[in-house]
Amino acid sequence: MKKYWLVAKNTWDETVTYRFNFVMWRVRTILQLLTVYFLWLAVIPKDGSFGTYSQSLMLTYIFGTQILFSFVFASRSYNVGDEINLGNLSNFLIRPINYFAYWFAKDLGDKAMNIVFATGELTLLFLILKPPLFIQKELPFILFFILAVILAIFMYFFFNFLLGLIAFWSPEVWAPRFIFYVLINFVSGGLFPLDVLPSAIFEKLIFLPFTYMLYFPLKIYLGQLSTSQILSGMAIASVWTIVFYLIVKLVWQAGLKVYTSQGR
Amino acid sequence: MAESMDVIEVKNLVKLYQVFQKEPGLFGTIKSFFNRRYEQIRAVNGISFSIQEGELVGFIGPNGAGKTTTLKCLTGLLYPTSADKLSVLGFTPVQRKPQFLKSIAFVMGQKNQLWWDLPPMDTFYLNKEIYEISDSQFKKTLGELVELLDVGKILNIQVKRLSLGQRMKCELIAALLHLPKVLFLDEPTIGLDVVMQEKLREFVKNYNERYQSTIILTSHYMRDVQALARRVIIINHGRILFDGFLPSLIKRYAPFKLITLVLKNEVEKTELAKFGKIKNFDYPQVVLSVKSQDAKKITREILANLPVEDLNIEEADIEDVIRQVFIGNK
Repeated sequence: MKKYWLVAKNTWDETVTYRFNFVMWRVRTILQLLTVYFLWLAVIPKDGSFGTYSQSLMLTYIFGTQILFSFVFASRSYNVGDEINLGNLSNFLIRPINYFAYWFAKDLGDKAMNIVFATGELTLLFLILKPPLFIQKELPFILFFILAVILAIFMYFFFNFLLGLIAFWSPEVWAPRFIFYVLINFVSGGLFPLDVLPSAIFEKLIFLPFTYMLYFPLKIYLGQLSTSQILSGMAIASVWTIVFYLIVKLVWQAGLKVYTSQGR
Repeated sequence: MAESMDVIEVKNLVKLYQVFQKEPGLFGTIKSFFNRRYEQIRAVNGISFSIQEGELVGFIGPNGAGKTTTLKCLTGLLYPTSADKLSVLGFTPVQRKPQFLKSIAFVMGQKNQLWWDLPPMDTFYLNKEIYEISDSQFKKTLGELVELLDVGKILNIQVKRLSLGQRMKCELIAALLHLPKVLFLDEPTIGLDVVMQEKLREFVKNYNERYQSTIILTSHYMRDVQALARRVIIINHGRILFDGFLPSLIKRYAPFKLITLVLKNEVEKTELAKFGKIKNFDYPQVVLSVKSQDAKKITREILANLPVEDLNIEEADIEDVIRQVFIGNK
């Protein structure tokens, strides 16, 4: 286990060597937060509402998505494709280390860094903007929220990994990824809560994995889901996580058979 | 002495690659976008050999001969297309059992395992955990390797700030910390200057003697192999052309020696040609190639008949020998 701890620690150290890069990434996150924040601040008047959302709930949702974004979607495993293409994967295959666990550990190191910064920034923003945020005080909601976030992290990790594994068959790993990035922000509820969409669309989105990456955990936090909704959502998210895991495993095994370990 | 065991056994190993073909130019690109043509390349075409414990074997061949592909099959990176037998230390490489991975190391001259942005020491610590090396063993091995390679001062400098030679030394340390029983070296001296090449060779030799590990190295620098390996396996177009000891290779493919003369005064070319084949004539120096068994006799005749200032007899240049092998098998 200690090896994966060291991988996480090394990743943390690595991030520190690229301080400027990292700070710029954080600045981007804050700018994104501010634009969406002010947009919704303007759309919903102080005592007004949008669908079932009061101004305070909507702003909390927006704040929340931006924070969750850096936990769930900050993943380094997009590099898997490059490692396969460049043949660097070989260096892992010849050592007794689990490649999935290796990347997951790297992600944890990366996320830890993001959490530290996000906490600092939000405290600052909170003090400056004094937004009317909704604070969840009931323990069950908070616990389910944390559980949902963990599921989301795993789900996204496997999905992102899967996109990288395309490299076993094609060097063009970036094109599918770009399409995916554009789509995911929308369908995971990164721009607005998904339930403001027409119910015909929303009812279908519920069965997609992406809904459970941002929207679902936040809805739990806001206390807007009934127990049965939470449980059925958890079930769907778990099924997707397991399905992704199995697909990744199968694709990985198949990929190794065609791996050519080429490279410079 | 106990009978030494075969550490590596390979029988009839074949590896095919699918290679995608593209005609040059924009039109070719568009055409290949819609209609991909693949061609099969036989990288390794039915080779067999076995290697015993403690041997140091050199794999030689031009680029694309199949050397690296063979090593990749032996280390479990590639699935062989077919093989009647492929075993390393009794394991089937491609299963990549932890016990197998802990007993081997594969150093690829062109691929780094060191973390680029961190000092080498961080990678060493990580490998200590990956290979589950005890604290005392780690300390001892690291100490020895650092001393052998003389890198004590650079262990805490970011890898990206190290020179190629320093980096290669650290790569070696990272790969050897767990004292692998079988060590695969793929072009370990590539890109290094002559002095550094020399040092690395010396190190590999020392390592082999000190830890009794089996070492297989590929190189296209003949000097590497000559300095290190007693046994060579020459491979081209995926087939083994020669497998045996260096002296017998020379005897078989180059049954001649080179006599280098420095002349006191000028001699006609035709006069020199009587003694042997002129390989090089740049007055006052002449290089003659003669049959090995006649070398002594001819030397005596030369000394008696030519105005010689200096004379030197050498084995055929190994590079020439190899060329001979390749030409002979075209």
